[in-house]
Amino acid sequence: MEGVKITLKVNDEEHQVIVDERSTLLEVLRDKLLLSGAKEACGTGECGACTVLVDNKAVLSCLTLAIEAEGKSITTIEGLARNGNLTKLQQAFIDKGAIQCGFCSPGMILSATALLLETPFPNRIEIQKALEGNLCRCTGYNKIVEAIESARDKQNG
Amino acid sequence: MDSIIGKSVPRIDGPIKATGQAKYTVDIRLPNMLCAKILRSPIPHARIMHIDTSRASRISGVKAIITGRDTWDVRHGFVETPRYPADQYVLANDRVRYIGEEVAAVAAVDEDTAIEALDQIEVVYEELPAVFDPLEAMKPDAPEIHPVQISDLSESYKNIGGKCENSFGDLNSAFDHAHLIRKDRFEAQLRTHCYLEPQATVAQYDSNGTLHVWTSSMGVFRKRMHLSRALGMPASRVHVHKSWVGGAFGGKIDLFSHEFCTSLLSIKTGRPVKFVAEREEIFSCFRHGQPMIIDLETAVDGQGLLLGQKVRCYNNCGAYRGSGAVLIFLCWGFVVLPYRVPALDYIGYSIYTNNPVRAPQRGHGAPQIRFAIESQLDMIAEELGIDPIEIRLKNARRKGEMLPNGDPIRNAGLVECIEEAAKRTDFLKKYWENTTQQKESNYIKSGIGIGVSSYFTGTLIYPNNSAAIVKFNDDGSVHLLTGALDIGQGAETILSQIVAQELGLKMEDIHVIAGDTETTPVDIGSWISGLTLITGNAVKKAAEEARRLLFLSASRELDVDPTDLELQDRRIFVKETGKSIHFARAIARHIKENGGDPIIGHGYFRGLKNAATGPSLKNAKGAWSDSYAFDAQVAEVEVNTKTGKIRVTRALTSHDCGFPINPLLVEGQIDGQVSMAAGQAIGEEVLMKNGITLNPSFLNYKIPIATEMVENDYIDIITEKYERERHFITKEVGEGYVSGILAAISNAVANATGVRAKKLPIKLNPIYYEEKREEKK
Repeated sequence: MEGVKITLKVNDEEHQVIVDERSTLLEVLRDKLLLSGAKEACGTGECGACTVLVDNKAVLSCLTLAIEAEGKSITTIEGLARNGNLTKLQQAFIDKGAIQCGFCSPGMILSATALLLETPFPNRIEIQKALEGNLCRCTGYNKIVEAIESARDKQNG
Repeated sequence: MDSIIGKSVPRIDGPIKATGQAKYTVDIRLPNMLCAKILRSPIPHARIMHIDTSRASRISGVKAIITGRDTWDVRHGFVETPRYPADQYVLANDRVRYIGEEVAAVAAVDEDTAIEALDQIEVVYEELPAVFDPLEAMKPDAPEIHPVQISDLSESYKNIGGKCENSFGDLNSAFDHAHLIRKDRFEAQLRTHCYLEPQATVAQYDSNGTLHVWTSSMGVFRKRMHLSRALGMPASRVHVHKSWVGGAFGGKIDLFSHEFCTSLLSIKTGRPVKFVAEREEIFSCFRHGQPMIIDLETAVDGQGLLLGQKVRCYNNCGAYRGSGAVLIFLCWGFVVLPYRVPALDYIGYSIYTNNPVRAPQRGHGAPQIRFAIESQLDMIAEELGIDPIEIRLKNARRKGEMLPNGDPIRNAGLVECIEEAAKRTDFLKKYWENTTQQKESNYIKSGIGIGVSSYFTGTLIYPNNSAAIVKFNDDGSVHLLTGALDIGQGAETILSQIVAQELGLKMEDIHVIAGDTETTPVDIGSWISGLTLITGNAVKKAAEEARRLLFLSASRELDVDPTDLELQDRRIFVKETGKSIHFARAIARHIKENGGDPIIGHGYFRGLKNAATGPSLKNAKGAWSDSYAFDAQVAEVEVNTKTGKIRVTRALTSHDCGFPINPLLVEGQIDGQVSMAAGQAIGEEVLMKNGITLNPSFLNYKIPIATEMVENDYIDIITEKYERERHFITKEVGEGYVSGILAAISNAVANATGVRAKKLPIKLNPIYYEEKREEKK
């Protein structure tokens, strides 16, 4: 197969992969690196299920070419927990009932992680604004917003 | 003993879902796997004259192509009864009846090759006249989509896929003696589920002749039944595996062509095959909810007491019957459930049109019916000069009443639901204030509205029952085997809570093996609103059986009567003395004294125990359900009358869901339903023209986003208990609460503006509004 050899730094590990220039970051994460936490629910950047962090910013991996991500630090949902310990935000999602079917959860948690990195004390409106690009059909967003507020208070408390 | 039942314990699948470890069907990847794609009809109604796959099959990397010739006359249906035989083909035979109907399927080494093969399949169609509007399709001169098969249809209508008729009481007398009669037509739009995980199936036919299937569904046993029938294979050779499900909301229950085709392609190639639907494909070709026209005539006395109703429902069921014939029965039910109607004349028609097939969607008829009835009730109250609370309290069903089909309402907290909802929201004060400010010049208006609904809790449709197995390990920990499929509602969590409660265990002591047709017993599934009641009681009985055997051994070990014992933290205690032994000792003794039996509890449960079958879809006679949930919901809205923009600001759900096993999960169900209703009330609509979907994307079919979150409040009117040694009664909570709030939002908009919406979604035309306001002055 023709392709480009690139090095992707994903979850603090470097991976050399041969990719088609047209491949999206989502395809490479899922199909080459077998990191299936990032989901494809629309493939056109409308739902946020494929959200990952690129240099700590929330990015739609279905609209990002893999070759664009070379040299940057990519974090997927698989890279949040350290030594099996979940982040406060992941734990808050579980405790507050913010997860139902769970298909949006990886993207939702990563969008919220990026928010808390950039704005440590977001108010409710800022939280809702940060999640605008992440669709959830199960929860109505109520428990998701509560979970982020609870993680905000815990990390800063 | 500490109770774990009724507690908001976090869901047990939380950690694997929060870390991305949970494997959904789209994540299943098998070695040597092929990619499947489906060729769909571009024409709404046509004869297939010729299909040529020869060019496509010569493409390198194409491994198999199937068409209707391979599956001739293989039919399936949501219901398959003598009155309603299966009418849908797994692949079109000699005719297509909607844009998107499956014509051929390809398995290839990768997606690009599969798509190229679809392009190279030649199909010659001869176009036929098509019809899209249900009222047009009923006319005797309409194009025929299917011959009418209902032998007792007295009308000369065409394209009738289903008819449900029921009447009782003296309707003529009710209308003759009425103080007021209202006649209105209401219309509910085509809306869709928007489950986030696309429809997906992986199939692997192994060399031993077993077909392994992973599919995004709402119940593995129903899928197995359909697949084994359609493929002509014994159920024992169709193994539907568990995968996590990324939402369904009614849209993943039926058999889908892609599930059959993926399976057959795997059988033909001997390789694993995967199909994942594109989002555009889902919006354009897959099954949505059911749009409906409702003609509603209601007679009341001077105080607003219902005297009689005449109801006609026209359901646009699409090109095949789908769940349409069930829906028009359910609509009858949602008319008679919450309020006493002494006389009724009901007919529901399900009408074939050249549109995609329709499925259940959360509420399955209730949102449409309750929107109509609750809207009209407010209109009646206004005409009579009484308030929306009073008219509802007057007509609300109470404990001990009987439904027209003979089902008893054993418990009903509806009156309390309405009263508490009104009190908590200060409803009447706001309602009259808003009514006054309709005439004022401010353009941001506030509105408050109430809607009432009721929903059934499981009924008899395959699989009618659930069974469960609880098996002890040597150390006293437990495996629960259940066929239940957790589609996000938390099935595995509440079933574990029941086992923990019955066996005095902690949640972490229990491991659940679920949703696998080979290793777990049959299960009713996550789709008929009966899982907690039916599966929950099966699990409870299995745990009780395990406990009985455990106590038997422990009583010998401790030399007391089994009734003197209780359980906690894997220990068995003598109640009076506090003397105890570990589970492990009792289990070891049981194995020793019973020929090696390690203690396995087996439980089973079926609803409507004395009924041979479920209710009649033809005339709504016969038992329907064991228990009914009731709710009253209040919505508050803000309307910008200059732009027509509506915002749902707050919602209150006052509900009687029986005994809530996990209140946190109950709240989560309500949040999701309120949000879905808000979307359906003010924006969501699949727009179609001549069978073509005009807005097949999340950008153009707008579901609520985080900034449109509705602030929710809940009141739980608990009418049931969870008790030892008898089955518990819980009521459904997963889909009944879309309807009341949907109606409440519409009523709130009317309260804000004085303008009444009779069509969903509510569209406020600012110019029309101004005219109305001028009139009112």
